[in-house]
Amino acid sequence: MNWDPWIPLLVVASSLLPGLLIFGLAEKRMRLRTALNLVGAVVKLGLVGLMLWGIYHEHHYETRLALLPDLELVLRAGPLSLLFVTLSAGLWLVTTVYAIGYLEGSPHRSRFFGFFSLCVTATVGVALAGNLITFLLFYELLTLSTYPLVVHRGTQVARRAGQTYLIYTVIGGALLLLGTVWLYSLTGTLEFTPRGFIAGLETEHRSALIMIFILLIAGLGVKAALFPLHGWLPQAMVAPAPVSALLHAVAVVKAGAFGIVRVVYDVFGVETAADLGVTAPLAALAAFTIIYGSVRALFQDDLKRRLAFSTVSQVSYIALGVAIAGPIATIGGVVHLVHQGVMKITLFFCAGNLAETLGIHKISEMDGVGRRMPWTMAAFTVGAFGMIGAPPVAGFISKWYLGLGALEADQGWVLFVLAGSSLLNAMYFLPILHRAWFRQPPDAWPAEHDFGRKETAWALLLPPLVTAVMALFVGLLASYPFSPLEWAMLIAEREFYRP
Amino acid sequence: MSEKIYAMTLLLVVVWPLLLAIPILRAHLPWPRHLAIIPAAVLILVFQDVSLDLDWLLLGTGFAIDANVRWMLMLSVAVWLMAASVSTDSNRDTADDRAATFFLLTMAGNLGAVLAADLVGFFCFSTIMGYGFYGLLIQGGNAAVRRAGRLYIIFLVAADLALFEALLLAAFATQDLRFIAVQQAMAGSATTSLYFWMAFAAFVLRAGIWPFHLWLTSLFKSASVSICLLVVGLPVATGLFGALRWLPLGLSASAGPGLVILIIGITAVLFGLFRLFSRFSNRMLPGWGTVVLSGLFIAALGVGLMQPAVWLQYAYLQYPLIAGIVLLLAVIIMLVGDSRDRHPEHDLAMDRVEALSREVAQRGGVMLQWSQNRVRQIRSFGLALWLKTVRQARRVIDRLKTVNVVSQWTASITMFVLIGLALAWLAM
Repeated sequence: MNWDPWIPLLVVASSLLPGLLIFGLAEKRMRLRTALNLVGAVVKLGLVGLMLWGIYHEHHYETRLALLPDLELVLRAGPLSLLFVTLSAGLWLVTTVYAIGYLEGSPHRSRFFGFFSLCVTATVGVALAGNLITFLLFYELLTLSTYPLVVHRGTQVARRAGQTYLIYTVIGGALLLLGTVWLYSLTGTLEFTPRGFIAGLETEHRSALIMIFILLIAGLGVKAALFPLHGWLPQAMVAPAPVSALLHAVAVVKAGAFGIVRVVYDVFGVETAADLGVTAPLAALAAFTIIYGSVRALFQDDLKRRLAFSTVSQVSYIALGVAIAGPIATIGGVVHLVHQGVMKITLFFCAGNLAETLGIHKISEMDGVGRRMPWTMAAFTVGAFGMIGAPPVAGFISKWYLGLGALEADQGWVLFVLAGSSLLNAMYFLPILHRAWFRQPPDAWPAEHDFGRKETAWALLLPPLVTAVMALFVGLLASYPFSPLEWAMLIAEREFYRP
Repeated sequence: MSEKIYAMTLLLVVVWPLLLAIPILRAHLPWPRHLAIIPAAVLILVFQDVSLDLDWLLLGTGFAIDANVRWMLMLSVAVWLMAASVSTDSNRDTADDRAATFFLLTMAGNLGAVLAADLVGFFCFSTIMGYGFYGLLIQGGNAAVRRAGRLYIIFLVAADLALFEALLLAAFATQDLRFIAVQQAMAGSATTSLYFWMAFAAFVLRAGIWPFHLWLTSLFKSASVSICLLVVGLPVATGLFGALRWLPLGLSASAGPGLVILIIGITAVLFGLFRLFSRFSNRMLPGWGTVVLSGLFIAALGVGLMQPAVWLQYAYLQYPLIAGIVLLLAVIIMLVGDSRDRHPEHDLAMDRVEALSREVAQRGGVMLQWSQNRVRQIRSFGLALWLKTVRQARRVIDRLKTVNVVSQWTASITMFVLIGLALAWLAM
């Protein structure tokens, strides 16, 4: 029997089934819950590895299930989708380990891990979606499964943040639905196709296509936190650290950015989008968001809020790379999907460690924390330098290809945006590092927990160390076969050069 | 076979200190700072050109050593040996341990930048060196050093940005990012001018060349001997070395940029000399000496840009010149004395350094004691000679009644003179 057509569905099911089982578990069944979580994550990673090998050897993985007359639920693995799936599956495993440690002893863990698994299911569905309707379904499932995670703590602030999140994302989803329906009425298909499926319509339906593009990007821009649709993201920082990591690095924000990549490449096609004149405004908006996010980050004393505004800035690199509309910039944008994820999850894990171990939430409380938690802060340092774009951490590779792509596309102004952003990143990350490593620690920390000789619990310490090493090695070994960069090159090659 | 061993040694020069920078890995090793230099010292003795291509590293990079690079490697090894000798090596103390991490990280960055065969490798390792050096400054320094360190990091970030932009321009012009290939490609590129000024600005910022010397002179006011040695051996030397490797020198005449750079160099020399003699102090002699000598080097670059033939004629002097400048400054630093003599507010770290030095002298026996005595004698003699020269020079200046002007000389006046010279040149 040929299993290839079922593998995409199995990848989705590998987190859906454990998630559904976890919902039914009693709170005290900790071991079973942990086992289900970890087995699901490992199985998913194994299946993704299998697909990676297969795609590299030109295998075809596609699941089709009838949804409505003329509309199918399509799950298809291609280089672009696999890049995102690998990121999600890999980081899900790490985040699960972290979440188990983070939530030890706290209430409602079955509920949390149930939605946690659903969230990853939705993310993988978004990544593997083979048409816009499948994408939309999983995109909405993502909204619904992350809302309970945002309000998990149940405090007044959390509920308010959740409400804001829901308002933003539901409106975004509605705009996306509107754009999708309009597009379907014009084209009669929603199937993602290399170089888009609207070629030939741009002369007859130019205005309509521009409007559809705006609707789709606005719908996706909410989750991708493009200015001025980013308001929910800093507020959602009240969520527990694993959820923040999930929002910023694995799932929500990435789903939005990935959707923008899909719309430009596989719905409109880069050339058609450029002909319609929609890529230039998208590039301008992304560039503005990059600078705006960094400037706002400068003035935040709350560590997680600073990181949130940093995400607003950094995720727009992906949109910028896509909007520059050239092969090299595409590599930069697409590879940043992975690089930003690995670096940002490291930073959020570290922020969570500081909060859980020492009760540190503000940057002004971080004096000398590097002496108390050297491993955590070493991981944070790697992540921060990556965000600045300092070599050899992963961020340098992204910025390199974005800059080179901008020169190739004759858009030299992007270099100033990159330089400005790097400068601002340095301005809001280096003072944190200086404070943590070189200032004298206070006599007492805000709320210190005792972990004996260890700086914190292993389940909290290992994930940031693993992701920090990943961020370093992804940059250092960028030219190695199967690296994210090589994968992004494959995507660019298929998008721009293959007949 | 031997080539493979040489290539592995080349890699080890950078990887070994990097590994030792991880505290766990050096925890049970004696003298990790000294041990880290061994592969580099061995490589100096290999009198043949060695190269190693690492296509899988970063964007594809490599290391290489030839006669020119050997000069710089010798210089680096000398500087690191001197610095290691006046630093602590005890791993018992947490602060010492952290300082050792920065020390070894900076060393790996410096050696990597020296041996890098291409622009990406140089950029990567010099950035590691820069941030590691900042850590070293802040970790062991007193309040004044930390202030200077903050200024240094601002310049470092700005320099890195400029260098990154130059790197992008080079990569856009040619896919081969080895130094020679880039110099040739940029000599005829449409973006030469932008590339040139970006790279030049970056190295001026990194090396603390006038008018961006403020952090450098501030450091010399208050830093310890080992830090002063590292300042001239690392940011200054690597900055000058980088300028030689990155800038398209000796390929085609660039009269305009050459003249501007010549003026900057001459102004730096004059400014340094005026500041040195107007407010002379032993303490500031190495600082202003660095400004003067690096200014001289910049002036030479300007001449080289204007007259490529002259540049090529004296090409063999380039790297020995950097080595000479740095060694001269190192000698001046040693002659002028350690921070206790120059600055009464020495910090606790220096006490530890000296205590350990004494311990080393006792344990190391007669040889070390003998060398220290010789150094002291040479220092006293050299200092006396230098002070005599300085006094004579000051007498000449006093006779010319220019002291008032000199003492009130500020950066703004220098800038004004520079702009005046530039305008005169433009008018001509």
